Amino acid sequence: MKTLSLRALLLLSMAAPAAFAAAGNEPTNPPPTLSDWQSMAKLPDIGGVWTPLISDQVAQERTNPPPWKPEIAKQVEHMYAEEKAGRPFPVIDHCFPTGMPSYMLITHNAFEILLTPGRVTLLGEGDGNRLRRIYTDGRPHPQDPDPSFHGHSIGHWEGQTLVVDTVALLPQAYLAVNEAVGVPNNGDMHIVERIHLLDGHTLADDLEITANKLLSKSWKTTRKYIRQRAQKYDIVEGVCEQGSYNDAVDKDGNSTFAPIKFHQGVPVGSDSK
Amino acid sequence: MKTSRLKHGLGAALMALGVAASWPVAAHHSFAVYDRTKTLTLKGTVKTFQWTNPHSVVWVVVQPEGGGEPQEWSFETTSPGVLTRDGWTRNSIKPGDRVSVEFNPLRDGSHGGGLNSVTLLDTGQKLTASFAASEKPS
Repeated sequence: MKTLSLRALLLLSMAAPAAFAAAGNEPTNPPPTLSDWQSMAKLPDIGGVWTPLISDQVAQERTNPPPWKPEIAKQVEHMYAEEKAGRPFPVIDHCFPTGMPSYMLITHNAFEILLTPGRVTLLGEGDGNRLRRIYTDGRPHPQDPDPSFHGHSIGHWEGQTLVVDTVALLPQAYLAVNEAVGVPNNGDMHIVERIHLLDGHTLADDLEITANKLLSKSWKTTRKYIRQRAQKYDIVEGVCEQGSYNDAVDKDGNSTFAPIKFHQGVPVGSDSK
Repeated sequence: MKTSRLKHGLGAALMALGVAASWPVAAHHSFAVYDRTKTLTLKGTVKTFQWTNPHSVVWVVVQPEGGGEPQEWSFETTSPGVLTRDGWTRNSIKPGDRVSVEFNPLRDGSHGGGLNSVTLLDTGQKLTASFAASEKPS
């Protein structure tokens, strides 16, 4: 590899001064100390694998719907009618992350909470191992964060409760109440969560969702998750797009994937019309 | 740009771009597409068992009663993660297995359904999939 001449290096350093900022100007993640690890042992036992309490999701959908604005309520009503008619709106068909807050509201899959110094990480199983990063190292939200499917989340402990604040969600991220009914937040959504144990094997996420383009007021709702310590609940890889393919062998005898036939969004036999 | 009755979402965007399929290549759809007021049963031979996220699929060749060309049917169930916890493995169903499948059909008669149970006819083993197990702690 050709090495850069001294002249080239000098030009580079003038063109991109930020890259050569003096050490100490950029925020860093300091190495965890023994004290950091020890204080983690005192945190509530929310780590490990959790499965969503789906029967309660369904009950909450019925008894505590979001306070939709009238024009949004019309869209929601239409989606419920379509679902009943067997033409469910494809809220999560695209294999993008379900995103926030819908992941917590409607997931049918297990997830794992990982506790490390300065961080709470939620690793999902369904649809590509979704990842939520919650920074608990005291940092603020960035001034102008890049929007993302799960947003930028910061958290702190209030006693036994993890309080999480999430902003910077992509406007396309849905506020969904089931897999067939949801509306993109269209920008301007803010989520506050209070995550805490109800008992030794039940985790609650009390969400307060403010979505000014969708909701006439902030919406409070709770979702519950059940603790799974059995190893058969270990989170496995889940690649959403893989469901669109079956194992195949190509003309050279190489293992490959062949697309399956879809009709109205579901797989059908290759001889189907 | 073509206007669309769907006001939002990727589906609407695709329609607005004039993409022929009105549905995206749909890996993670809602099971509401299957008619849950009807439960049908079909017998056939397994072609393949697609053990994939988000939905596993049992592909079955069915010989229609009264003769005619064999039909290929696809029966969808949930993800390998969930199935494992209900006692399935990726080898629970193999190509060549004779099976009886209970399912909720597609409304237009296309050869697909939402799987309720698979019975392996040669052993009598009945496989079902539900989220019920994961509602209890372990």
